Amino acid sequence: MKKYWAIFKISWQRQLTYRLNLLMGRLRNIIVLLLLYYVWLSLTLTSGKFSSYSQIELFTYVFGANLLRSVIFGSQSRQTASEINDGTFSIYLLRPLNHFGAVFARELAERSLYLFFAVIETLVLAFLLGVKFAAPAPATLSPIILCVLLSLCLYFVLSYLVSMLAFWTREADGPRFLFEWLLEFSSGAYFPLDILRGLIFTALSCLPFFYLIYFPLSIYLGKIAHGRIWLGLGIETAWLALSLWLIYVVWRRGLKKFTGEGI
Amino acid sequence: MRKYFRVWLQLSKCAIGSYLSNRLDAVTYLIGKLVRFAFFFLFLWTIFNYTDRLASYGRYEALFFFLTFNLIDVFAQAFLRGSYMLKIDIRTGWFDHAIAKPVNTLFWSLARLTDILDILFLLPIIGLLVYVGMKLPIMITLANIVLYLLLLATGLVIVVALHIITIALTVLVFESENFIWLYRESMTIGRLPPEIYSVGIRFVFTYLMPIIIIIAYPVKALLGRLTAIGFLTALIFMLVFFFGALAFWRISLKHYSSASS
Repeated sequence: MKKYWAIFKISWQRQLTYRLNLLMGRLRNIIVLLLLYYVWLSLTLTSGKFSSYSQIELFTYVFGANLLRSVIFGSQSRQTASEINDGTFSIYLLRPLNHFGAVFARELAERSLYLFFAVIETLVLAFLLGVKFAAPAPATLSPIILCVLLSLCLYFVLSYLVSMLAFWTREADGPRFLFEWLLEFSSGAYFPLDILRGLIFTALSCLPFFYLIYFPLSIYLGKIAHGRIWLGLGIETAWLALSLWLIYVVWRRGLKKFTGEGI
Repeated sequence: MRKYFRVWLQLSKCAIGSYLSNRLDAVTYLIGKLVRFAFFFLFLWTIFNYTDRLASYGRYEALFFFLTFNLIDVFAQAFLRGSYMLKIDIRTGWFDHAIAKPVNTLFWSLARLTDILDILFLLPIIGLLVYVGMKLPIMITLANIVLYLLLLATGLVIVVALHIITIALTVLVFESENFIWLYRESMTIGRLPPEIYSVGIRFVFTYLMPIIIIIAYPVKALLGRLTAIGFLTALIFMLVFFFGALAFWRISLKHYSSASS
């Protein structure tokens, strides 16, 4: 465990070395947040509501999604594909550490840092814009925390799985690009998915991405009945277990294909 | 001019060859771009299932803003993709070769990679622009169309200037890969009519980072909502940004230290 803690600390230092890049990255986040805030402000200005959401609920969703994106959507697992393609992956095979664990430690370091900045951004912007948030029911707090932790793991595992495509092809960037945009929208990172209604919403609810952003925020906003919360968490856990099993299978087969090209 | 067209054509042929040899990447990138476009389009379409106005604009007017944003954004990505490669060129020392080539370094840095996928992607965007344009609830005159095209060209020149500024910053401050992404994210402000934003935000994205001039002014001209002052502002901004960016590029080149060579 000590070696993964060391990777965590080194990753923090690496992130903080390129401070200007970090700042620019956060500025990009703020622009997206402002865009979404003003869209919903404009749409709720006269009636105070949109679809089944009040203005306060929509603002809570937008700012909450900003926080969750920072916690859940990481970038470290993306590097696995380039590590496999350029041969640096071989270094991990020679060291007494688990590649999955090492990348997850890097991911946690990045996520904790980004969460810190996202909390500050959210509080400052909420104060400047005079935004009020909805409060969750006390009984939903533990399912929300559990759901966010599961979402963090599920995103990482899915993203790692897609990166492992690099064992078979040098062209893993395109599939990753497609995966990321499918995930961004299907997770509800930009808007509450239930405004889509009908068949599209039903189709999206069958995907694992549904549980990443939309589901925890819906629990927070009290949009999901208590019994269905635990059912949803069960389905999310099943997706996580299935993805972990797939990683196990793909890893074993992928290693047989790995040629160490680029060493 | 002919020489540069021939160089660009040759570079584009190389890019086509690269895309054809990486078919999985090319196809999935193209599908990814279409998915991104389709989702935003769907979102905007869905909004109008609940309301008939977004900041005084109807469904097709709002869609026209969105499509014009896509047209300009994708056009820049198609033809100015080289600017995304400059950081790697500097890190690997390749930029020294670019400086030594018998072509303009700025041209090379901006246009060394043509994104063929984005050129393909421009076709459905232009088709949808024409379709949505015909659905607009106002009478479009020839003068409106000419003004739209003129301001579109003005906007594109400003976009080129912004790309020049980002690559000049990359030469000056190596730790700058997020500058181009900051520009890209700022462009998304233009996805929707500017009236939805506060006065302060509109000021920033009109006069400091002129995204509203680039995207919203042409659409407003087409809809007959742009004043003569707006038109003049766009022209002045185009000149200031373009010549300012060129001057900044020259300064950055003078400070290039060739540290990686």
